[in-house]
Amino acid sequence: MPAERAGFTVTMFLVDVSPSMGKLREVEVPNGPNGETMTIEMTNLEYSLQFVKLKIQEMIFNGRKTDQCGVILFGTDDTDNIVNEKNGGYEHVTEYIPIAQPDAGTLAKISAIQPSETTGDAIDALIVGIETQHQYLTRKATWTRKIVLITDGESPIEIEDWEATVKKMNSLEIGLTIVGIDFDEEELPFHEEDKSDIKRMNESFYHTLASKMDRGVVGNAEFALQELSRPEIRQVKSTMTGTILRIGDVESRAEEAIEIYVKTAKYTAKAPLPKMKRFSRRIKMSGEDDERMEVDEDEDKTVWAQLARRTEFYIDRGDGATEDGVSEAGDAEDESKGEKVEKEELIRGFKYGASYVPCPDNVFPHLPTVKGMEICGFFKAENFKRWQEMGEVYYVFADPDSPMQQVALSALVRAMAAKQSKLAIARWVRTNGADPKMGVMWPMVVEDQIDYLMWVRMPFADDIRNFPFASLEKLVTKTGEVVKSHPYLPTEDQVAAMEQFVDAMDLMDAGEKNEDGVREPWFDVRLSYNPALHRLKQALFHAAIVDDLATHPLPPPHPELTKYFEPPRRVLKRAREPTEQCKATFNVREIPAKVARTRKDNHVRARDEDEDILLLDKMAKRPPTSSQMPASQRPASQRAVQASPSRPKDKGKARTGGDSSASESETEPESDAEDLLLSKGPHLPTPTQSPEPDPGRAPGRIIGNTYPLEDFRQNIARGDVVTKAVEDLAEVIKEIVTKPFASRRTEEMLQCMRTLRKVALEEDEIDAWNAFLRQLRHVCLEERPGNKDFWEHVQGEGREISLISKSEASKFGGASDVTDAYAVQFINQQ
Amino acid sequence: MTSYEDWNKLDDDEDVELEYLDYLEGNKDVILFCIDCSPSMHKLYEDPRYEDVQTSHLFTAFEAAMQIQKKKVIVGPNDLVGILLFNTSRQCEPTTGQGAEIKKGTYVYQPIATVDAPKVQELMRLLDAARENPGLLSQKFPPLTEGRVPMGDVFTSCNWVMRDGAPKTAVKRVFLITDEDDPHPGPARERLLTSAKTTLVDLLQAGVTVEPFFISTEDKPFEPNKFYSAVLLPISITDDDGSDGTVLPESISITRVEELLSQMRFHEVPKRALFSVRLELAKDFTIGVKGYGLVTKRERGKYEYFYDLGDRMVPAKSRTIKVDDASHTYAGKSEILFGMTLGGAPADEDKEDAEEILGVARVVPANKRPFYTRDEINSFKTMGLEPMLKLLGFKDTDELAYEDNVNHSIFIYPDEMTYSGSRRTFTALLRTMLKKGKIGIALGLMRRNMSPMFYAMLPQEENTDENGWEEPAGIHLIPLPFADDIRTAPVETAHRASSKLQMMARAWIDKISVRRGGYPPDSYPNPTLAYHNAQLEAAAFREEFDEGSFEDLTKPKHDMIHERAGQLMQAWKGTLLGDETANTVPTKAGSKRKADVTVDEAEIRSKHEVGMLDKLRVDQLKDFCKSKSLPVSGKKADLVERVGEWLDTHA
Repeated sequence: MPAERAGFTVTMFLVDVSPSMGKLREVEVPNGPNGETMTIEMTNLEYSLQFVKLKIQEMIFNGRKTDQCGVILFGTDDTDNIVNEKNGGYEHVTEYIPIAQPDAGTLAKISAIQPSETTGDAIDALIVGIETQHQYLTRKATWTRKIVLITDGESPIEIEDWEATVKKMNSLEIGLTIVGIDFDEEELPFHEEDKSDIKRMNESFYHTLASKMDRGVVGNAEFALQELSRPEIRQVKSTMTGTILRIGDVESRAEEAIEIYVKTAKYTAKAPLPKMKRFSRRIKMSGEDDERMEVDEDEDKTVWAQLARRTEFYIDRGDGATEDGVSEAGDAEDESKGEKVEKEELIRGFKYGASYVPCPDNVFPHLPTVKGMEICGFFKAENFKRWQEMGEVYYVFADPDSPMQQVALSALVRAMAAKQSKLAIARWVRTNGADPKMGVMWPMVVEDQIDYLMWVRMPFADDIRNFPFASLEKLVTKTGEVVKSHPYLPTEDQVAAMEQFVDAMDLMDAGEKNEDGVREPWFDVRLSYNPALHRLKQALFHAAIVDDLATHPLPPPHPELTKYFEPPRRVLKRAREPTEQCKATFNVREIPAKVARTRKDNHVRARDEDEDILLLDKMAKRPPTSSQMPASQRPASQRAVQASPSRPKDKGKARTGGDSSASESETEPESDAEDLLLSKGPHLPTPTQSPEPDPGRAPGRIIGNTYPLEDFRQNIARGDVVTKAVEDLAEVIKEIVTKPFASRRTEEMLQCMRTLRKVALEEDEIDAWNAFLRQLRHVCLEERPGNKDFWEHVQGEGREISLISKSEASKFGGASDVTDAYAVQFINQQ
Repeated sequence: MTSYEDWNKLDDDEDVELEYLDYLEGNKDVILFCIDCSPSMHKLYEDPRYEDVQTSHLFTAFEAAMQIQKKKVIVGPNDLVGILLFNTSRQCEPTTGQGAEIKKGTYVYQPIATVDAPKVQELMRLLDAARENPGLLSQKFPPLTEGRVPMGDVFTSCNWVMRDGAPKTAVKRVFLITDEDDPHPGPARERLLTSAKTTLVDLLQAGVTVEPFFISTEDKPFEPNKFYSAVLLPISITDDDGSDGTVLPESISITRVEELLSQMRFHEVPKRALFSVRLELAKDFTIGVKGYGLVTKRERGKYEYFYDLGDRMVPAKSRTIKVDDASHTYAGKSEILFGMTLGGAPADEDKEDAEEILGVARVVPANKRPFYTRDEINSFKTMGLEPMLKLLGFKDTDELAYEDNVNHSIFIYPDEMTYSGSRRTFTALLRTMLKKGKIGIALGLMRRNMSPMFYAMLPQEENTDENGWEEPAGIHLIPLPFADDIRTAPVETAHRASSKLQMMARAWIDKISVRRGGYPPDSYPNPTLAYHNAQLEAAAFREEFDEGSFEDLTKPKHDMIHERAGQLMQAWKGTLLGDETANTVPTKAGSKRKADVTVDEAEIRSKHEVGMLDKLRVDQLKDFCKSKSLPVSGKKADLVERVGEWLDTHA
């Protein structure tokens, strides 16, 4: 509960501007682009004014009229304050900014404060501050008073009557904060080495002063600045809204129906990120601007203008041929913007497919509904699907002013919470005519205090997507057998390793110790700050108080924001062994990205667009597409081996699992076994959702295993990669024919070969063809697993597909060392 | 509406942290219904739903197509559909552009185009006419007299029709509807099978997927392994899921004809991942996962602006520009920087006059930059993290309270294509979490321009519940609220009920409990959406909207409640009224009001009965309204009326 009410506060900032405040200090700023430590120089005054400005910026941010402040300087060359006016004395104290709600101008004025030539007395300033504040608040007795004193403690103070001042401040319930530059601070820790005597005395005086105050504190400026970035939660009191909880038909069966008067209030409400405005550099224009510039002495100013938003509407009078929504977001360029129209001339409506449906009165009538919460039924809590919760959670209290309603709700709540507890299905209409929402309510019992319900929105039928997913546990072969061992299924060792990992990573005893010395769970939502929200706020505040972000970069985030970014050290330590174990047994490998090539055909994959949006960042790491062609299932290292045309022996070895590195080949079998697998149930395998399958290209290849022929034709059409295309297609064919189920692609492969041969002949790749055909024969007949069937099909093609002979070659201006006779013999030999 | 819709939206368009759903809107979905018109599809039988009505599989298929079109038109107004028939002797009119030269025996009934009202109406008229005259469909689309069209030709036709009609970047699907499990039993089987296979590959190659809906009846059970498993199997080319063409046969349906529509509804929205990220279980122990929205709020379509040209309407495109009001200049995207509001233009007298000219602006020394670039702002939002999901550890399942919720959950499933071995690792993790009763706690940043959030990882066991709801195995990510999002209870104490009242309440609670299962989403279609869509449809069809025919299915079943529990509820109410605690007079702590201000209900009622309500004071009326959860706004006359109404309805 908020201890203080927000707003209704006047804060007086008393700032020491004595000459000593002009002393320069080095301030560390976040590391430069190359990680080097960077420091900037500023005066102590500038440094400590950051605190004042951040405090004031927060007031501006909150925008409360009743959150006001004033600034008094001491050590000024002149004197201008109300106490002096009335009684004299209190010299070198100046009321610099009168009490008011601060704005951007206030900050600008504070930035302009400079050290003076005279020293000033902090106690004088304190008395002036109290008096100025008091006078302002004569008629606002209930306001909170705060005074912030900023000093380096290097100037003498007259401390005679300080007890009287403390008494006065306590009677006015003033909260005093003394921010001392380079004061000793345990918390940081900080200890100033060559402290002057006067400062030592002053420091100790300030500590005494603060300790005598009811609300007094002394702090080191650096520490105070650091604490300002600590995330602070803006307490929002939930407003309660009255509604009626109904069970049954209160209209026609009122004697049986139940009505309970309740109040709803938000329990969770997503706190929005701080609002931002856009700015752009204003280009200086002639005329009046120049005049103004002269007023500012020099022209060395940059004006940043806050931008407003304006929405403009355009129509296309043409034949409506332009597709909607495709207009590129070409900045400011007016290409094909169409004709500008005013919003007032437009009619609101909806699209019904390609038809336009204008709405009468700009909106369709809403569903007539009656305000209230209606219970539709109850169900067992154990059947609740937690993941279906859809939004923010609400309290539902009985009317706080009516014992009758409280007892009624209490009975309902406690009855629901009794053993075999139940939840209620409740339809909620906020106000008459509002959209009904379905939700679930559960009982909350705070023993000896209160019983209430909580409500959360649940999905409508329309909100649920029944996407199908393959079973993770049941892998079934084509013949209906359940597969027990498969790279997709964890082995016993793997499960054991995972169990150890999960045990080690347990957070239930990883938190702080409680009073009883027992460790609490680590991570509490109630202590988890929204890092983005607080970081952004810090950034915006920072930018508001400095003139240049290049020289004054934003300090790092407060550690409180990132405390849950890593598992607790205790847990990490405990999990080190099990983690290593997991890494070793699971052997997860990142699949390197393939080089994405743009396709030239007409049907562009829908995914591409999708992924561009979704995975901007992942594109580089992840293969842009995926393939089920067995080849691509293999780790890249092996694939690379296979891709190398000169090492057919290696390939055979890898295929049969003869590879010595067992871990390397562990994923190998899946490509083969996978084709056998089906998931159980009435399902049949089918080309699934994929808009377009992946071309299945091995790294470095321009021909994929999926659509070799198409890829080949495209590349040939390009003209400049013929040799590479021929070479790759030859490799691809050899690969495919030795895959399981190659027979399904026999016709396709033959087609590839015919095309390949034709191209080879025409493009003078005759040697390549002849070499390929010989290799193919070897692969099919001499190697394991081989594919005799396929070779027979090749033979079935006859002379037309055989080696290219001299005579053939010469027709196309090429050369060959194969005779016609040998070409015939080659294809026919058994 | 509620703040729920707005919580993610900042004032400026591009800064909006979009709901995941929005990313998908760019993609169009194309469905080509490919319907068999063979004699068995035409065969008439008694409609099981209506008496004396004859129907056929073909009729049902058309009806399903029509329903899907109706649905599509609202859900994705830019989506395209078409209908192709095969095994019919009807010839294409030579002039029709799309698929003009498709194979013999196939016929384009509706070319692929954006769904619109006339198209749906055309189908509806056809169906109405066919209901009157059951023979109509076989007249219009006569079955081939001899044999069947080779399936290869059917696929080729689909390909051509798609090529002509579907936009390049769309998700293209063919819904194949047939009841023939063995279309080519003859001697040419092998050849036809091969050609079907190859043409299907072509189709896939063109980015089109085929989702078969096979109709199975008792007399004629559909056995996919007679023909189709051979055709569909070998094309074990990947799906977008990456994992597994063959192990993931998700989109085949063998169904009774009555369930055709509901089967299709499952496939209405193509399965698409919201994101793909790495899940870091520990340092250097990372797997790939994809995220899906299994629960996503579906809202009514956005309204748009149109301009009336007199003879037709054209849509108006909107563009948001950023303007410097003082100098009336536009700002290009690249020049824009971000910072905190400067507040309104200063109004104070003592501010320099220069500010008047300046408008809202900030002046700094030359070439200094007091605002952030977009990239800087983004790095603050992301806290410098890259998109990922990082496990922080495990907790007991009951540590996840019902109330720790702010938004809907996301479902994650392993992605073998980014990290090989993801599946086995994920499966082992899932198994272990289920076995040990643990949830995970994770830090997640799903996209570059979002901000990090903490998630509870709730393991989901694979199961099928009583309602036939299949729950896939995976992990639900439940976004947890931050400390900043949680509000304290504004009320801390209240009176408690006696155990007698509790027990009596439990009696009627048990009577109106569902026996099995939990919250049934399927029973509650969104009435607002349905009401809106019905009106939109009526307007598009230029029909009168029949409000009477609209039924809000979310309303409680009052008859059932009263029948089962009415007596018990009445008894409970009686006991409550006599309850001692319930009748304590509230002591208003700190109330400054005089005691006589409060008037009790009986007194107000008696005033009302004699028409003297207006004799009450405004504060008295307001107090009464407040206690009955009625609004307290308006003038005295409004209050009197409101109180009067309430008393009338609560006699």
